[in-house]
Amino acid sequence: MIGMKSSKTAASLQSGKQKHAFLKEMKRNWPYYLMILPAASILFIFAYLPYPGLIVAFQDFNFVDKFKSPFVGLNNFKFYFTSTYALRTTFNTLFININYLFWTTLFSVSFAIMLNEVRTKLLKKIYQNAMFLPYFFSAVIIGKLVTDIVFSDQYGIANQVIKLFGGQPVIWSQTAEPWGWIIIGTHIWQVAGYNSIIYLAGITGIDEQLFEAAALDGATRWKQIKTILLPLLLPTIITMMLLSIGGMLRGDFGTIYSIVGDNGLLFKHTDVIDTYVFRAIKQAADFGPTAAVGLYQSVVGFILVFGSNYLVKKYNEDYALF
Amino acid sequence: MQKRSFGERAAHFLIHLILAIYAFICTYPFVLTFMVSLSSEKSVIDNGYQLIPEEFSLLAYKTIFEDSSIYYAYGVSIFVTTVGTLLSLLICGMAGYAMSLNRVRYRNAISMYFYIPMVFNAGLLPWYMVCTQLLHLQNTIMALILPMLVSSFNIFLMRNYFKTIPASLIESADIDGCGVMRTFFQVVLPLSKPIIATVALFVGLAYWNDWSLALWFIDERNLFPLQYMLFRIESMMEFIRKNGYIGGFEFPAQTYQIATLFVTIGPIILLYPLIQRYFVKGIMIGAVKG
Repeated sequence: MIGMKSSKTAASLQSGKQKHAFLKEMKRNWPYYLMILPAASILFIFAYLPYPGLIVAFQDFNFVDKFKSPFVGLNNFKFYFTSTYALRTTFNTLFININYLFWTTLFSVSFAIMLNEVRTKLLKKIYQNAMFLPYFFSAVIIGKLVTDIVFSDQYGIANQVIKLFGGQPVIWSQTAEPWGWIIIGTHIWQVAGYNSIIYLAGITGIDEQLFEAAALDGATRWKQIKTILLPLLLPTIITMMLLSIGGMLRGDFGTIYSIVGDNGLLFKHTDVIDTYVFRAIKQAADFGPTAAVGLYQSVVGFILVFGSNYLVKKYNEDYALF
Repeated sequence: MQKRSFGERAAHFLIHLILAIYAFICTYPFVLTFMVSLSSEKSVIDNGYQLIPEEFSLLAYKTIFEDSSIYYAYGVSIFVTTVGTLLSLLICGMAGYAMSLNRVRYRNAISMYFYIPMVFNAGLLPWYMVCTQLLHLQNTIMALILPMLVSSFNIFLMRNYFKTIPASLIESADIDGCGVMRTFFQVVLPLSKPIIATVALFVGLAYWNDWSLALWFIDERNLFPLQYMLFRIESMMEFIRKNGYIGGFEFPAQTYQIATLFVTIGPIILLYPLIQRYFVKGIMIGAVKG
């Protein structure tokens, strides 16, 4: 009894001490905390306030009762996962994102290595600036370029090229199959140049002496790239991949929606979870199932971030993000 | 310098060829867009898109600039980009600075607070409900600014840069009786120009290019930013045709779309030399510091 009592007082003393420390810290550094306050409160509104809204995922939401709508357990999840949309949108999302990741990495690392070999400064700059260009334009512009300039049914570049080789022009706006790959290609085209600059920065950071020593030992340039450059670039590659893996179940909504829009004929190969969610909110006002889908994306994303980081950490501690 | 072997020269030729082709692929659509926007409607209909059009015409641009929509859209985009970028830099810069100082005891807990939403967010629907039900952002200009104001990533980027500023500089400013804000504006910011320029470009570009916020929240025509106007071009054309198109010509539907595309691209092309310089620098900073 007595022991318990004394430990209680110790605890309250401790918390009193902590409180004291807190007040002392505030008294000493209040201007700095005040500087953090605006960012912290805006983040609170747009990132923390939505968290309780996740409750909608378990409710049959209506606008009269709002968050006091009746609970329906896991029905919303059932609704999504048993619909034809679940399989299609999940498949398309993963298909597009995995291809994004793989091809973008392959292209940008290759371009970085090639750019590093270019010795003429002016040419290097011209290539870089040209390859960089598409990165700076909005998803809408990219979307319009793709649909109106390249893959327009009547006048587009694609059909001009097809006709040049004697083929039959394609009515792109009604042919679903190629669009998954068109979206993937568009993304590579937009970001490969930009990412290659990041990798190029990584390459520039490698000690030049390593290459010189290898050259003295008679290693060809190709061998130097394989045995020195690539292994030393690996941490950068892994970091870039880890950064994008959490978004595996999110779509590149901006690009995809600006390319496809509401053209239902193409959904079979282009509808991703985010475009489905957008339509469910804006057009169908289907709130319960939509929140469920959002929760599914976030939880899977969270698991992917920590899971992949854990695996990388097991392989080599230095490569992990945290 | 050693003489290059035949194989090496062939490899170099191949590298130049590949890079040149890819550089061409990256720029050609933009060049073509520009040329088509200068064609007459008739030559597009007769010959499709041509790099050198049969007949030049400025009718598409005339049609665009005759209608007031474009001025509103430019106004909205410029306002959102300037106000958004300045506010965002100020708010995130201050937070990043305070979090970079060792004397601030709870900085790690606060970093955690900024980090959590980066790995777990509530999804689109709860966010949309906060914006519409709680803040009533629909059809306000703030809808285009507020949701993008705070970026944890940029805060961390700036914090990491501020950490490299010698603590002694800040302490001596303190001893001289320089206030916290004055130290920040007059000592810290001038020493951090590269990171400020880079983040300003990232944020400015994000605001200028954003259209999804308008897609979620804006129905009022006069509040459309440039990008969203381009996205809604078909309905825009419908609107202009019905309400006071006074060209006295056939409405140049094809070239009008393409010209609007170029009008939206224009400012970025003009600023490109500046943009790319700071971007390359910024990426280097990020790659070294990150």
